[in-house]
Amino acid sequence: MKLFTKYNRVNITTTIITFLVGSIAFYFVLDYVLTSQLDRGLQVEQTEITDFVKEHNRPPDALTTKHQWTEISPAAEPIAHPKPHTTEAFNQLEKEVEPVRQLAFTIQAGGKLFKAVVNQSKTETEDLLQMIIFVIILMIALILLSNYLINRKLVTALWKPFYTTIATIKDYKLSEKRALQLPHEKLDELDLLNTSLNTMTERIHQDYLALKTFTENASHEMQTPLAVIRSKVESLLQYAEGKEMVVQQLMTIEDATLKLSRLHQSLLLLTKLENRQFELSESVDLTYILKTKLDERESLINARELIVDTTADQVTLSFHQHLAEIMINNLLNNVIRYTPLRGTVYIKLHSDALSIKNYASDGPLNTERLFQRFYKEEQSAESTGLGLAIVKEICLLAGFGIQYRYANHEHEFIIHFKPEQK
Amino acid sequence: MKILIIEDEITLNQSMVEFLTAAGYLCESVFSYKAALEKIDYHSYDCIVLDIMLPGGSGLDLLNYLKLDKKTEGVIIVSARGALEDKIEGLQLGADDYLIKPFHLAELSVRIAAIIRRKSFNGQSIVSAGDIQIDTASKAVTINGKTVELTQKEFQLLLFLVINKNRVLSKNTIAQHLWGDDMDFPDNYDFIYSHIKNLRKKMIAAGGEDCIKSMYGEGYKMQLP
Repeated sequence: MKLFTKYNRVNITTTIITFLVGSIAFYFVLDYVLTSQLDRGLQVEQTEITDFVKEHNRPPDALTTKHQWTEISPAAEPIAHPKPHTTEAFNQLEKEVEPVRQLAFTIQAGGKLFKAVVNQSKTETEDLLQMIIFVIILMIALILLSNYLINRKLVTALWKPFYTTIATIKDYKLSEKRALQLPHEKLDELDLLNTSLNTMTERIHQDYLALKTFTENASHEMQTPLAVIRSKVESLLQYAEGKEMVVQQLMTIEDATLKLSRLHQSLLLLTKLENRQFELSESVDLTYILKTKLDERESLINARELIVDTTADQVTLSFHQHLAEIMINNLLNNVIRYTPLRGTVYIKLHSDALSIKNYASDGPLNTERLFQRFYKEEQSAESTGLGLAIVKEICLLAGFGIQYRYANHEHEFIIHFKPEQK
Repeated sequence: MKILIIEDEITLNQSMVEFLTAAGYLCESVFSYKAALEKIDYHSYDCIVLDIMLPGGSGLDLLNYLKLDKKTEGVIIVSARGALEDKIEGLQLGADDYLIKPFHLAELSVRIAAIIRRKSFNGQSIVSAGDIQIDTASKAVTINGKTVELTQKEFQLLLFLVINKNRVLSKNTIAQHLWGDDMDFPDNYDFIYSHIKNLRKKMIAAGGEDCIKSMYGEGYKMQLP
């Protein structure tokens, strides 16, 4: 729900409730005020009649208007405490029964007891009340309408810089050369947001650069000694001709250096992937890469007498050339390494997915740990245990889905290029 | 053939000097940016081996300097920075090749040979050793004047062996030269053996000497006078 909608909902509800409660209270107050006005009129009339009786010692003639009329009739007993009350009475002039405020009292005149009933018509009071309520309802409607319009126009305009900021953040990439530079805003809150974001990205950017430099330096510091070891081994090898023991030891050192170097490069790549140091905007011909990588491995495939069954559609993705190569490389490396001699490998590439399937001599792989770093199904000297972890990170970065399936004694790795459509 | 080696890691620099001297080059080595600048100013070389991270400056600046000075030296960068951008930047600045550390010295040697062949004005595309003649431009191989038909991999392998003649090349080195860095080679290198076997057969069939020696447990060596 949008903030605006939420705000509007709360605003409208409270407005309506306030107005309703207010109107009800207003109604009662008004009714009370008007009724007491009528009552005062009734009391004035009572005083007038009492005064008239005192002066003339007879009840006055009944005075009748549209709003007030008096009926005087002989009474049997006196009314102790005359009090005005609301009731209905017949208005002779209007010829209808109307709601009235009535005061009945007794008077002593000429030795007789009379009962005087004074009626004050309430029709006008009620008309007035109705008018007032009508006006109030109209006001509520007007206020709601104006609120709605103001919110729509003004609030949208007020929030515009906010949405601009959000859009800028969304498009921001750390690998860009500089931190966010959001403009100053007139509104304090938005300005605060923008300044905070600016400082935050500035800091993140600094950290990012520091980390990037660190990985580059780490790479340099590690690879140079490795290069020294390797070159020395190569030199020693020339002197070791025929000395089998020495040669074996040297080969072990060379293998270890190679592995260390690979391991280090893989870890660096993983760090870079996590840092999102890659722009995924190149147009990459996946079919071509797959074909090239398979051609490169021709000798290897022949040596292991593998049958590779490839069906590949023309697939071009917006991706990163180098990462695409690494991804396919690692998958092919794995499948070639783990397919038994003379096994068959099925590779299917179409616009939605890349699937690589091979015969499995043993059961399914451990799905949970498969993509973890340094996880190996079997302890093998060549494997770094990072290949699939890298593939997974690349997929994560590119928004691809990666899946492992085991069925009919076959491992299958599938990369979905458009997982959200599934 | 004169080569300047600019590398601040002294042992690595020495290894390169030893190896390349053995391969018949005249080597000079410097360890810092400033020393490199002096050498470049006063001498000319056939090829420069350049490290990027140097005390006192960046190898990329040296490249720029060479470019501005219209020097024609071939340059091969040897750097630990494997980042693709670094590679592209180096090549854009006029480097001829880029080798990521750690590398095999034999690999460096072939790359230098290739650069010098490309740079030479009189179109020196012929590499010859013993009775073998390799035309790197037309990819043709003749032994005692007789043409030998080789596959692409066999051609690469032969050139690699010839340039690093009389040196023991481990299977790792050969595999990485032929198939690159990012392929892994499970359990054995039988497929290298089959390439070597085929190459030997073809060379013997053409009347050449059987000069590729298999060194037990180590690798291979091309024995040539």
